[in-house]
Amino acid sequence: MITKQLIEHIEGEASVYFDMDGDKVDFATVVFPHFRGMESILEQKGALDALVLTPRVCGICGHAHLMATVRALEDAYKQAGYEVRLSQKAQIIREFTLVMEMIQNHFKWLYMVIMPELSKLLHTPLANKPLKGAYASSLASKAIALFGGQWPHSSYMVVGGITCDPTHMEILQAKNYLRELIKFFENESLGISLKEFLALKSCKDFQSIDSDISSIEKGLIEANMHQKGFAHDQFLVLGKHQCTHVGKLKHTRIFTVDPKFVSTTDSYAPHEKTYAYNALYKDDYYETGSLARMISTNFPIIKNMHRRYKDSAYSRVMARLFETGVLLQHALELLENIDVTQSSTVEVVNVQNISAKGIGVVEAPRGPLIHEVILKDGIIQNYKIITPTQFNIGSSIPEHPTPVQKAMQHNTKEEAEFIFRTFDVCSVCTTH
Amino acid sequence: MPLKQETKPKLLWLQGVTCNGNTHSFLNLSSIEILLEQFELLYLPAFATQYSYEEILTCKLSCDVLIFEGTYDPLLERGGVLVDKLLQHYAKDAKYIIAAGTCASFGGMFEEVHPERNSGLLFKKAKSVTHFEKYKGKIINLSGCPIHPEWMGYTLEMILQNKEILLDELHRPKELYGYLSHHGCTRNEYFEWKVDAKNFGTKEGCLFYEQGCRAPMTHASCNKILWNEVSSKTRIGTPCFGCTESDFPRKNLFTTKTNMSIPQDIPVGVPKRSYLTMAGIAKTFHIKRLEDKLIDYKTTH
Repeated sequence: MITKQLIEHIEGEASVYFDMDGDKVDFATVVFPHFRGMESILEQKGALDALVLTPRVCGICGHAHLMATVRALEDAYKQAGYEVRLSQKAQIIREFTLVMEMIQNHFKWLYMVIMPELSKLLHTPLANKPLKGAYASSLASKAIALFGGQWPHSSYMVVGGITCDPTHMEILQAKNYLRELIKFFENESLGISLKEFLALKSCKDFQSIDSDISSIEKGLIEANMHQKGFAHDQFLVLGKHQCTHVGKLKHTRIFTVDPKFVSTTDSYAPHEKTYAYNALYKDDYYETGSLARMISTNFPIIKNMHRRYKDSAYSRVMARLFETGVLLQHALELLENIDVTQSSTVEVVNVQNISAKGIGVVEAPRGPLIHEVILKDGIIQNYKIITPTQFNIGSSIPEHPTPVQKAMQHNTKEEAEFIFRTFDVCSVCTTH
Repeated sequence: MPLKQETKPKLLWLQGVTCNGNTHSFLNLSSIEILLEQFELLYLPAFATQYSYEEILTCKLSCDVLIFEGTYDPLLERGGVLVDKLLQHYAKDAKYIIAAGTCASFGGMFEEVHPERNSGLLFKKAKSVTHFEKYKGKIINLSGCPIHPEWMGYTLEMILQNKEILLDELHRPKELYGYLSHHGCTRNEYFEWKVDAKNFGTKEGCLFYEQGCRAPMTHASCNKILWNEVSSKTRIGTPCFGCTESDFPRKNLFTTKTNMSIPQDIPVGVPKRSYLTMAGIAKTFHIKRLEDKLIDYKTTH
């Protein structure tokens, strides 16, 4: 029997059609019903306008879109024979604000999505107000705004660098917001120091802690999420940053990758029209996002987690929480390395001289975000966006399921809905 | 229309064609918890509240304050129900309707997707549309792409306190939009003396002459009530794109359109002749302090 479930409180709207076998999901298809036409809006616009328009693809990860656009434009400059070599200062500040956006995303997901949904699944009272996550996220946004002017919808990255030219004062202010956020993470979320958290070696170490994170960990075990929600156990990291290890992973073995092998196909959605396309790498489905990024690193606790629980829903959630700590630490280090005496921008030729194709790839909170632009005399001829949710939450046929489809199989409808959310769904990005 | 005092007013947040940016901007408001505690929250997109979206779709409830985010598309369905039907139902009993953001106010970014039918609640760009004309008296436009969190906070608090909100001709609160984005810009002295920012990425210079800054033509208090409580676009060297105005997004956003080297658009309400006279005089002076770096790290080390 097919039943439709409207998924609320994600970014945008999605529906899942469950084909039930008794009380277990035999197979499920996913529908993203809204279309906005961002790619066609961009056509025939001046290339630089994309820096203002694409952040408006998404309210929660618009900064990642900004960076994908600026990288795509800078790649087009390179292909046209005008390579742009950014100052180290511009590179560091870009990475800092991108990382802070990931952090704000993760805190919202933790307190507004995962904790309430886990409580619902376990029929236990909610321990925290969802707005606790908004407070933490707003601290991250303040740190972005010191360099980007505002969050959401900043356009401070431009071809050749960044528009801001901070003094040590802004760097100090950003550091103070970051310290406050780390204190919140330690006191409210972790119950231990960030240093101790990052040094944890085994999932068992969570048992000695009494905090929001340990209650999530216990809840996930209680809900058997360490034995459920397995996808294909293969992962993809494409965005090059100081904090990422680019590659595709089969289990934990890492292989080299090239974004040119990413393709999209139509979704399989027999019950309702969907506007989403599935994203594949070499015609295969890979999971992206925090779990992928963390497995590509060498943290002992992640290795331990994967050895015990593979790519279960447990691992997906806990990797996201662990990544929050990793990113907070990385953000602090980035601020230490900004040299205010360097230039914010390098000189570039007028964009009207550029007729070329460019590709920009970044890691957004949910995984690789790819922007591809074709310019003629600085005017956009074609723009294509591939978002992380297209990798994770595609809708395919039963013989070739996407990560989320595989992960939801053989669970109850309630469990499947929770597992769906462990991927952190962004519908607005998907149907850009 | 005043709210009844004895019970908490019921708040409902609906969405049209949107990026969710207004929701996320609002979540940055530092007083959000205290503010929302004063309402009975029927439904918000960001986190679970009293009712599920499916219950909202049945149109059996009513609200006192209706917030609408996103472009209005009369054919858009959410959860299998026309958003238009939801809006018509909940608008009926609402005492106030807040159009959150430029999309809901004027059509914004996503008006272009279906220009023949998409619009804001009351306006398509600056032109009136009729869909919600009968509710005109209770619609407040909070334009901005996205909304400024403090502006939404102000509007909801004013409603709670039964204070009159004075609106401009585009239904925006005058206390928020009576200012120009230019007011409070840290680069104002460069504007006065006509010193251009030659490149992006500098502390110095005005972005009005070459980089497309719309701040002198844009009704917004971004440089008075700072973004995320810390900054603004122009303070960090990004031009104002005029995102609170009905014609957002314009084209060629990083370039100032000029005629004979003079910006085509000049500050709101300033006669062209007055502007040209002042600009001409200012340009004859060379103020060394304004042409130098604010801080020269190389010589002050």
